Amino acid sequence: MSKLRETLEAGAFPVVVELKPPKGAAVEAMLAAVKSLAGRVTAFSIPDNEHAKMRLSAIAAARLVQETGGEALVHVTCRDRNRLALESDLLGAAVLGLENLLLVSGDYVTLGDHPQAKPVYDADSVQLLQIAAGLMDGHDSAGLALKGSPAFFLGAVVIPEAEPLSPQLLKFEKKLAAGAQFFITPPVFDLDKLRRFREHLPETPVKLLASVKVLGADEVAQAAAGPWRKVYSLPPELVHDLAGKEPEDILALGVEAAGRLVKAIRQEKLADGIYLKAKGRADLFTRILEGF
Amino acid sequence: MIIAERKPFAEIKAMLAPYKKILIVGCGTCVAVCLAGGEKEVGLLASQLRLALGLEDKRLEIGEITVERQCDLEFLRPLCDFTADYDAIVSMACGAGVQFLNQLCSLHPVFPAVNTSFIGVNNAVGHYTEACRACHHCYLGITGGICPVTMCPKGLLNGPCGGTLNGHCEVDPEKDCAWSRIYHRLELEGRLDNIKEILPLHPHDRTTTPGTVIHPAYKRRYGPHE
Repeated sequence: MSKLRETLEAGAFPVVVELKPPKGAAVEAMLAAVKSLAGRVTAFSIPDNEHAKMRLSAIAAARLVQETGGEALVHVTCRDRNRLALESDLLGAAVLGLENLLLVSGDYVTLGDHPQAKPVYDADSVQLLQIAAGLMDGHDSAGLALKGSPAFFLGAVVIPEAEPLSPQLLKFEKKLAAGAQFFITPPVFDLDKLRRFREHLPETPVKLLASVKVLGADEVAQAAAGPWRKVYSLPPELVHDLAGKEPEDILALGVEAAGRLVKAIRQEKLADGIYLKAKGRADLFTRILEGF
Repeated sequence: MIIAERKPFAEIKAMLAPYKKILIVGCGTCVAVCLAGGEKEVGLLASQLRLALGLEDKRLEIGEITVERQCDLEFLRPLCDFTADYDAIVSMACGAGVQFLNQLCSLHPVFPAVNTSFIGVNNAVGHYTEACRACHHCYLGITGGICPVTMCPKGLLNGPCGGTLNGHCEVDPEKDCAWSRIYHRLELEGRLDNIKEILPLHPHDRTTTPGTVIHPAYKRRYGPHE
């Protein structure tokens, strides 16, 4: 059983940090982060061509993370593969020792750095969860028997601040029915919104990792300049406090804010664990981890 | 109907550079409605070519004709005899019409003058939007008459993606999220149960190109013979 699953099931508040696979073959910086943090975090999350921007294969990066002494949580997006590729990559992940999966639809190609690429979406995230659950049961999506079933810990995304919320809750319930064992939220800055969302969670206990993010200067400038087009809100006072400051000062203040948020989420039991996003930088993660 | 856009003039002119006598064939149905390849657009293209080549002291003889539908043999066949005198043919129909014309007039090169865009609707003069991906497996009966395959850029079958924002689409914030629309339509109709079950993977085997449909009444005539 993966450490992430064990820690979640034990109620021991796992900490997942998100790394950035390189755009290229230089993996040293990513793996240095793993070396410096391995004893202090539960798992390292590896996005799969995040924001539709081409980077090193998430499965390859995740395997390297595990060889370096960390546990990986590997994302698999429906955007770039048809069902054959999804299934064979999931099996590939399993035989490489990757158990924790985050199965997502994936940001659309035109939002990324290969806008002319063909978007696939042969499966959606619900169907991909079903596919992975099917593989665990010993069959592929065509119903054909497998020789040896993989073991996965299946994660999915849920959007607590979705507007309107009802269609997202419908999808959330479908993800649960399809086999999701834990959920990860987008970054949370406003705990009231997370509190309100928790009222909608079903009776069945659901493991939830809340994301806490350190904003970069680019994001602060974007939020200060005009409409903020993200699925999470930023408190206006936060944007006001950060706007116009030096990039490193913004990160430092972001680290402090992240520490406070994690503490509050943990104390109030608003989530079962935390998912940290801080530009994949080990120094920022270390400073946040020191804060709680 | 099929929506198309006329190709840039420079591209058409370049394709026709080697020829001295061309026939421009318009189509009087879909591409006429969307102002891309009907009788009027045939006249416009012919005038543009005459003017441009005239300025370069080049001579191009241009014939103009528009048929009711280039995708229909009934309207296309009479054209065949008429094309013999030309070096090349320019079709202003959708890609289906271009290919049908090409098949019938096998002695002449046939060039497209439009880019075929999609199956769509005519919202108002000059404003067309896509409405159907011709996926062979219509979900409209369960999704409140709003197509998740077409109206959601990702073609998601089981609810909105995580990028939908205030009921708008992640890909184009000017557009409504298809799944927000589907949900609210079904809620209004009291049919939300329709979408509570997980829809299975889409059967893409029928979308293998080129597709063929034989009307049940004509199976004996056109269907496979034992």
